[in-house]
Amino acid sequence: MSVIEVHELTKQFGPVLAVDHLSFEVDRGTVVGFLGPNGAGKTTTLRTLLGLVKPTDGRATINGKAYLELADPLRHVGAVLEASSFYPSRSAWNHLRVQALAAGIDPGRVEEVLELVGLEGTARRKVEEFSLGMRQRLGIATAMLGDPEVLILDEPANGLDPEGVRWLRELVRGLAEEGRTVLVSSHILAEVAQTVDSVVIIDQGRLVAQSSLEALTAGARRVVRVRTPGAQELAAAIGHDGVRVEHVAADRLEITGTTPERVGMLAAELRIPILESTTDAADLEDVFFQLTAAGPDAHAEREVSR
Amino acid sequence: MIRQIRTELLKLRTIRLPLGLLATAAGLTALVTILGAANAGGAGHMAPPPLDTTAGVTNLLSRTGFAMLLAAVFGVTVSSGEFRHDTATATYLATPNRVRVLAAKAIVAAGVGLLFGLVASALTTGITLAFVAAKGYAVTVSGATIARFAAGAVLGSGLLAAIGVGVGSLIRSQLAAIVAVFLWSFVVEQVVGGLFNSTQPYLPFTAAGTMAGSALGGGTSALPFAVAAALVAGIAVVVSGVAARTTVQADIA
Repeated sequence: MSVIEVHELTKQFGPVLAVDHLSFEVDRGTVVGFLGPNGAGKTTTLRTLLGLVKPTDGRATINGKAYLELADPLRHVGAVLEASSFYPSRSAWNHLRVQALAAGIDPGRVEEVLELVGLEGTARRKVEEFSLGMRQRLGIATAMLGDPEVLILDEPANGLDPEGVRWLRELVRGLAEEGRTVLVSSHILAEVAQTVDSVVIIDQGRLVAQSSLEALTAGARRVVRVRTPGAQELAAAIGHDGVRVEHVAADRLEITGTTPERVGMLAAELRIPILESTTDAADLEDVFFQLTAAGPDAHAEREVSR
Repeated sequence: MIRQIRTELLKLRTIRLPLGLLATAAGLTALVTILGAANAGGAGHMAPPPLDTTAGVTNLLSRTGFAMLLAAVFGVTVSSGEFRHDTATATYLATPNRVRVLAAKAIVAAGVGLLFGLVASALTTGITLAFVAAKGYAVTVSGATIARFAAGAVLGSGLLAAIGVGVGSLIRSQLAAIVAVFLWSFVVEQVVGGLFNSTQPYLPFTAAGTMAGSALGGGTSALPFAVAAALVAGIAVVVSGVAARTTVQADIA
């Protein structure tokens, strides 16, 4: 059953179409990575889901209700949106007390969430004295105040050191094991690959893919590299029906759009000796770049043009 | 609503800015009152009338303008501070009903604003009476008048703080909103009131000042206390209403 439903969501900021008829669902008790390059519309989508941004069109609901319709929303949904949303001279402890009071949550919960994120010893310090990683932990503590069944985390690993990233990964997995639903955004697929059950990938505000990690890589483009003295003959025989063949040397081919098994069977039928054959299974990052057409160069171009 | 009001009060109790603004208001009020008292009856057109006159005592008692101005600035910080520090996101996640949040802010700011007026009127009254007594003069202003001026300062500060909340919500940039309040108070009202004397009683800071005993220039009469209070309250309601409408429509991005 879907806990989060985004249906035909569209958001236009003046001339900029940030989210474009986006639809996806998140099932109860799953951890879903919400991925896309910077500027893809992830944060706008999450803010719309949380009632902070008004959609131009479409709907985003949690348990069938818009965020604004939820009674005591922090008891249902916890969110971490940015690491700087704290009054700098207020202590972490007081920040949590304020949020607990606003949401009608027992103030005793403050100590529990501080312990959960490992800030119990520094909670009386002002937030302006916190590192970015400590602020991220405080954000997660805030999100956990209401012991919510749904967590929405926007780039939660930003600013965390490797130890912090591992801590976050274990925390998210632990939350999922407790049956909570987690939607976690990132522009780096590898960052969430070990944590999520499935992914929703968007680019330029549009849905690019929604699937499990296994299905994503299984359906991804693979490159079959072949070394054979009959390269010309093999290329002519296989290079059709969506199969792309590239001659990288006189005796070497790179074939995409088919499987190594088919290449081997065809070569056997034609009695073409295969001296060497390897297959590069696209890793998740390759898949991500292929789907979003956003390799490192494209990223750089986008950042410059923005 | 009670929960939102308690939350806003807790927010104010856990930062130093409100106390800093209150202390500044108290310091400036004491300074201008002491300077006025020391120069009362002196030479120069800026010197207040002597302290053995009603005009002289009234002049000192009504020196609560800085407190009213800083109460308005305080109101601005209550709302615009949420955007300056990006805490609006957390606030509206906990309480998605933005009108309720804004109403709680206006109520709390008005309540704390009353404190600005109370401290300022206590200081002007105490300093004025101390100087009058030190010079051996009889107090030429009745107790009822002193109480009315104090009530005007208290009520005016509270209402201006509520207006400040609306201004801070509308402008969002804290610096721009504070500059706007200062410009309005020191430039717009002075220029408009100076050019068109008859408008003076209807300008919010000027009207609040008259409630606290300030005299108007150009021989213009101040509005009766209740009318002036109703006028400033009406402005607070209108500004808050516009701010609420704008805040509900706005994206918190």
